[in-house]
Amino acid sequence: MTESREDIVLEVHDLFTNFYTFEGTVRALDGVELFLRRGDTMGLVGETGCGKSVTARSILRLVEPPGKIESGKIIYNEIDKQTGEVKPIDILSLSEEELLDLRGEKIAIVFQDPATYPNPVFRIGDQIAEVVLLHQDLRYDVIDMKIEKLEKSLQGESDPDKQVHIKEKIEYYRELRKDPPEPDKKDAKAAAFRRAVNMLNLVRMPSPESIAMQYPHELSGGMRQRALIAMALACDPGVLICDEATTALDVTVQAQVLKLLNHLKKEIGTSIIIITHDMGVVAETCNWVTVMYAGTTVESCATKNLFTRPLHPYTDGLLTAVPKLHENKERLPQILGSVPNLITPPSGCRFHPRCAYATEQCKSVKPKLTELEPEHWVACHNPLN
Amino acid sequence: MKLRDFILRRVLLAITVVFGVLTITWILAFIVGDPVTMYINENTPAEAIPAIRAAHGFDEPWPVQYFLYLSNLFQGNWGVSGSSSNMPVLEILALKFPATIELAIVAMIFAIILGIPLGIISATRKDQKIDHFTRIFSLAGVSMPIFWFAFMLKYVLYYYLAVNNLPHLPGGERYDTSTYLDFEFITGFLLLDSLIQGNIPIFLDGLVHLIMPGFALGYLTLAIITRMMRSSMLEVLKEDYITLARSKGLREKVVIYRHALRNAMIPTVTVIGLAFGGLITGAVLTETIFNWPGLGRWAVRSILFADLAAINGFTLLVAIIFVTANLIVDLIYGVLDPRIRFG
Repeated sequence: MTESREDIVLEVHDLFTNFYTFEGTVRALDGVELFLRRGDTMGLVGETGCGKSVTARSILRLVEPPGKIESGKIIYNEIDKQTGEVKPIDILSLSEEELLDLRGEKIAIVFQDPATYPNPVFRIGDQIAEVVLLHQDLRYDVIDMKIEKLEKSLQGESDPDKQVHIKEKIEYYRELRKDPPEPDKKDAKAAAFRRAVNMLNLVRMPSPESIAMQYPHELSGGMRQRALIAMALACDPGVLICDEATTALDVTVQAQVLKLLNHLKKEIGTSIIIITHDMGVVAETCNWVTVMYAGTTVESCATKNLFTRPLHPYTDGLLTAVPKLHENKERLPQILGSVPNLITPPSGCRFHPRCAYATEQCKSVKPKLTELEPEHWVACHNPLN
Repeated sequence: MKLRDFILRRVLLAITVVFGVLTITWILAFIVGDPVTMYINENTPAEAIPAIRAAHGFDEPWPVQYFLYLSNLFQGNWGVSGSSSNMPVLEILALKFPATIELAIVAMIFAIILGIPLGIISATRKDQKIDHFTRIFSLAGVSMPIFWFAFMLKYVLYYYLAVNNLPHLPGGERYDTSTYLDFEFITGFLLLDSLIQGNIPIFLDGLVHLIMPGFALGYLTLAIITRMMRSSMLEVLKEDYITLARSKGLREKVVIYRHALRNAMIPTVTVIGLAFGGLITGAVLTETIFNWPGLGRWAVRSILFADLAAINGFTLLVAIIFVTANLIVDLIYGVLDPRIRFG
């Protein structure tokens, strides 16, 4: 990867994450390589258990015991909004305190199951406002809110004396807005709640004011998922990770949410990672794809390239296993064998026991992710074509 | 469902339960003994007994007797306690109730103030030293019978320290009756009355007297709350919404005390409610050991004397307290968990 830091918002190098279980050490991630270009929507695909979610959680350092990130590098390249300078943040070397500024503010995540992820005892609006209150500067919001209120009361006021008085007050706040003071807690909370309502509006929630006052159990699955997306996007994060965010939804709602994500990407300017095992979702929403297999990155390229010219035998197998409408087949082709047990992973290339093209080299040497063709990275000793 | 309907429904249910309890206790009392024995003694001539029986309505058929009992009950006539020189039961209850409630509240405060934080600490530092200590502490609490534990406490903190001329806790009673001879009760709650009268020394004396019986009575509840809090906290900390809270960048403290605690409190509150009723009955043993002039000791004596009116009265009161505690728990539930309010 030779690109400059401005183009790439998130890079993961040689990431190893293990889970220490009673049966033994599960080597869940085995040198994952990833990069996400600014403004891209990247699909992260692979079978269940190949480490997609662990990768996502590792990026936010949300891997919980018995899991542990062993080594590697995760770098978030932040662009300073004023100077435009790029500041690389090495996530794995951040302190717990610094990590709090990263989570939710720079990198946000939407989880899979809308039924279990919102906290059942808090209002939707409060749950969104919470993250806004934590990360955002609300000084201007508070003053704007006060001015708005005064303007509203000005319209309803007929007494000229009082009108003058209100106008003076508005002037005072306009002056104050040039250098707003720290708002008190109550005002900040109200401002954060107002932003929460705006976010709900942004994710196309019908009557966002009343939804904000409701509890998660009063909403449908699709609405809850949209609320979770609103929560994740509330602080304009640089990267949004959708961890199977649409898998639990039915197809129509899934389509709505995906459309919404693409729309929001343009509006907010977030780069998105969509974790899925659904190739259809990838084809529809992503412009870049990274394929994972058994804890390793096997292929990474533009979506179009992947579908037309897969280079890795695994990707090829994956694509031929997808049923196509225009073909009439008795039985779909499959990748022989099954996903390896990650407690005792195969040596060398983790795919070699199932690979038709495997050689002696594949059994002993782990292939590195290299740019075989321009804009097409593959980790394979014997790539196709 | 509105909160008002919710409360109304629960109150109606509570009344039914209390009614059931008083019916069952009446039937039991009707079966086991002849109530007239409380009104006669060895000097009563045999021929006078039918008259006494008739005077109290004990010669009527049982449905009439039951009706008489109910009608008296609702008119505030809970019968007279033969074992307490024929004082009306309701009057004795009013007299002794504050001492027991005061003890139970102190026990509850011990249990809640120590139990909930211990449970949280134990859960958040699972398998560390403090967790092991807390688990042993709470296991001891649920395993030790109160009569043994209270005696041991009294032996060490009162007797053993006293014979070695060390500062020690008082061995019983609500306050030092020999020092404060002229103390007059107003409401019956010692701590409240002494504060109303501005009598700080007796307030402090009352507090000191409450420590040992309060802790002895509350230890079991403390242990139950700690264990419940620990397990429900551990359960909640595995929930997805905790991961979500962490992913927002919230501090671990906020995650635990805002997001996890409220969810973990729901099962704990049930236990607290039930335990409060248990404290009143548990007071029977504690009051006997610490010479506490409360309901428990009085109930024990009434049982020994087969004083049916007194036993009925005590049972009814305990039932009302149980039901009220559960009603309050249900209401707190509604506050803690929005799903219950509408469910």
